[in-house]
Amino acid sequence: MIHKLIRPVTYCVLLLVALLIVSPILFMVVGSFKPDALVFAEAGTWKAFFPETWTFQNYSDVFARVDFARFMLNSLLITGTVVGGGLVVNAFAAYALARLRWRGRETVLGAVMVLLIIPFEAIAVPLFFGASSLGWRDTFSVQIIPFIANPFSIYLFYTYFLGIPEELEEAARVDGAGLLRIFIEIIIPNARPAFASVAILTFLVQWGFFLWPLLVTTDEMVRPLPVAIAAFYTLPPLQWGDILAFAVMMVSPILLVFLIFQRWFIRSVASSAIKG
Amino acid sequence: MNGLHKVAMIDDKNAAYFFVAPALVGLILFIAVPFVLAVLLSVTNLHLGSPLPLEFVGLDQYRAAFADPEFQHALSNNFLFVVFVVPVQTALALFLALLVNSKIRGSVLYRIIFFMPVVFPMSLLAVVWILIYAPGPQGIMNSFLQFVSLGLWQPRDFLHDPQFALPAIMLMSIWQGTGFQMVIILAGLQSIPGQLYEAAALDRAGNWSQFWHVTLPQLRATLIFVVLLTTILAFRLFDQVQIMTHGGPNNATTTVMFEAVRTVFERQQVARGAAITVIFFVIVLVITLLQRRTMRNSGGAMR
Amino acid sequence: MATVAFNHVTKAYTPGTNAVEDFTLAVEEGERIVLVGPSGCGKSTLLRMLAGLETVSGGEILIGGRVVNNLTPQQRNIAMVFQNYALYPHKTVRDNIAFPLRMLNVMKTERDERVLKTAQLLSLETVLEMKPGQLSGGQRQRVAMARAIVRDPDVFLMDEPLSNLDAKLRVKIRSEIARLQRRLGTTMLYVTHDQAEAMSLGHRVVIMREGRIQQVAEPQILYQRPANAFVADFIGNPGMNLFQSRLLGVDDGKCLLGFGDRQLSAPYPDDVRGERLETLLHQELLIGIRPEALVPRDEQGSTLIGRFEIDEAEPQGHEMLVYFSVPATVVHGNIDNLPAAQRMVARWPLTSTAKAGDRLDLAIKDGAIRLFDQNGNAL
Repeated sequence: MIHKLIRPVTYCVLLLVALLIVSPILFMVVGSFKPDALVFAEAGTWKAFFPETWTFQNYSDVFARVDFARFMLNSLLITGTVVGGGLVVNAFAAYALARLRWRGRETVLGAVMVLLIIPFEAIAVPLFFGASSLGWRDTFSVQIIPFIANPFSIYLFYTYFLGIPEELEEAARVDGAGLLRIFIEIIIPNARPAFASVAILTFLVQWGFFLWPLLVTTDEMVRPLPVAIAAFYTLPPLQWGDILAFAVMMVSPILLVFLIFQRWFIRSVASSAIKG
Repeated sequence: MNGLHKVAMIDDKNAAYFFVAPALVGLILFIAVPFVLAVLLSVTNLHLGSPLPLEFVGLDQYRAAFADPEFQHALSNNFLFVVFVVPVQTALALFLALLVNSKIRGSVLYRIIFFMPVVFPMSLLAVVWILIYAPGPQGIMNSFLQFVSLGLWQPRDFLHDPQFALPAIMLMSIWQGTGFQMVIILAGLQSIPGQLYEAAALDRAGNWSQFWHVTLPQLRATLIFVVLLTTILAFRLFDQVQIMTHGGPNNATTTVMFEAVRTVFERQQVARGAAITVIFFVIVLVITLLQRRTMRNSGGAMR
Repeated sequence: MATVAFNHVTKAYTPGTNAVEDFTLAVEEGERIVLVGPSGCGKSTLLRMLAGLETVSGGEILIGGRVVNNLTPQQRNIAMVFQNYALYPHKTVRDNIAFPLRMLNVMKTERDERVLKTAQLLSLETVLEMKPGQLSGGQRQRVAMARAIVRDPDVFLMDEPLSNLDAKLRVKIRSEIARLQRRLGTTMLYVTHDQAEAMSLGHRVVIMREGRIQQVAEPQILYQRPANAFVADFIGNPGMNLFQSRLLGVDDGKCLLGFGDRQLSAPYPDDVRGERLETLLHQELLIGIRPEALVPRDEQGSTLIGRFEIDEAEPQGHEMLVYFSVPATVVHGNIDNLPAAQRMVARWPLTSTAKAGDRLDLAIKDGAIRLFDQNGNAL
């Protein structure tokens, strides 16, 4: 008898948990379409999820009150450059470590493994201090350049490249291909999962990166979304509808990427954990 | 991973240096050097805006940090966080992973829903959850708790109540982090060879027995990894604290990283802040080494 | 096409152990050389050194008279077929074959033409737009060959190209390879572990063991006059019967040999000088007898060696292998370090009525006995 109950119980539990998980998100999205006054007032009721009045007012308010487009552009620029630059820089380095023979290879590999352990917070203070002293604050470059080279990305690429059969590269060499061509025409097309994983993980981390831009930016012109939303929250008047609209717009790009590429997303996270 | 390297390419030795140079420069300039700098700064008395000359002070900063009640509170908050969040979140993640892994329809949909919070930037979540934790009966959390407790719950101002501030942040973190852990555990579950379960079934092992004797042992490495990763993340706690409670009320929610930033940014005590981050790093290092040691003893990696 | 020469080539992975030891060989233009030997004998290493995929520890390698030790694979005009084909999985068959031509900066129109011609030569026209993953093993092998042929290189290198195919396909394709090479006239170095393949393909065959050349000769010579016990055992399936023996006497073209608790008398091989043999009187030797050389007593041109009991008779479809117990100590060429079964094998036609338990008189065909000294070297 217990066996018969397991399935429906499982479904119920899963459904319940799913609802619990999803409700804050739903609350956020629905609330962004409600008039400001009602957001807070109706928060405690079922009307928080099923509004009686819809409006786009909050969205236009956001654009009226702050330069949202600029924040979005900034985030896109910073994240895009870190991801793109990271793919190139880290992949090249990983290939040299995996397949080329050069003096110091073992040392550098060991160094990468050691640096892997150091979380960003451990170097945030001196990095900030250094950037400050050099007058490097309030720029895009200070938010981009330090994060392009990444030990974890290198490690992901490295283990993947090791798994590509060496015969492919040997055949290409015999066929007359030089090193760069081999890397671009043979290795990269056969390492798509690694590139996808690194891109996704870097995007995930960079899009929500808060601590660093908080430390090094005050100028709105270079401010990315994570800092902007915190600032917007403290910007009088406190209108929750506007804030929720801001949040919805801020999360849309990455949410969209997630929903489209969710299999890759989840696989990247899970497999990078296995490597760790 | 094969440990045996065939002889790698012999040509273009110089190209290797070009390939690796940009990354190497980046790693040195932006990770290695700052790290060394952190240690160096932490043994000085660097205080921006202070008239005192810069000098070497040995371990004074560390002593001062540990003696500082705010820092002590921060450390204990982090430990509290670990002690509560890690087991709860892991158990929940394991539970959900098991459910999703059983042959039910729509498992992909559940995976998406459970993982979705992970995709949200933490600062965004912090702001939104401020609204969720709104005081008074209109606050959605308050009214929800009133609903499930059948009226017994009294509305609280979570984020301004010293008793509830930290738990509030814990709950939010669990909400966000469970999906992340679940996905990893799920991958671990799916890599357990089905034959082990078949053999157990032939040996007359029931569901609970199978879970205890097949699933858990096979999952050991994954669980260790996930527990320690979450522990490290628990020490990195910053964004939510900065935005939701600013460490308060009365340092009820301050954390190590929050203290570090506050020390450097608001009080200009760069050296002290550096010392705090070094302490933080040592904690993370210990945890990481612990994990590596336990993994090795358990027979190595998952696959 | 070009000549290939190895001069005292050595390869050491770790100091002290040489994968290849003092390898010297001169290959003529258009010749088909097969390197064969048990795994680990260094044949693949040698091929890879010729390709430039491994460094040379000592000695020189020359292609067309030019020392190529310090040339990269890209700079040597060679083509190689790998054991696992190494086809580019993400490119179509057409792009795979065209790749080396692109590297040579051949113009597109000429490229397309040559790719098509080569594809037709190997019956690949229908699969040009497919990817390697969609092809059968045999097709993939042909694509690998096409990629090698399309460039008209100085030398073809083949590293066990057939070992991933099933037996029937192997036999079929190997004759196609020979036919192709004859037609193109390109010098070819071919590596295999299969002695039958080596014997059928090579103009000359190089037998290697533990990094050293055991013998270089045409297949017939290898079979009839093996240079040492290893070659004698390695070549042929089953290999030559080898026994421990002692030279008891030499007289008038014949020698008297100990054979366990018996003696046998037979004409010694005609490439051995009597005087030489006399110096080895009373010393230990090895006797080698090919399975085809053991015949029933009544055959012409054979010398009786005694009566033996049949241990087992195995029909093989086209012939029968008959195993006789022998009183002498049987020796292996030490290929797989297994203890030798104390019996010798003869190859007889299927019409024979021999069965286990029979006791028969056996004879050896004249001139078929081979003699080796204690170290296994042919006299």
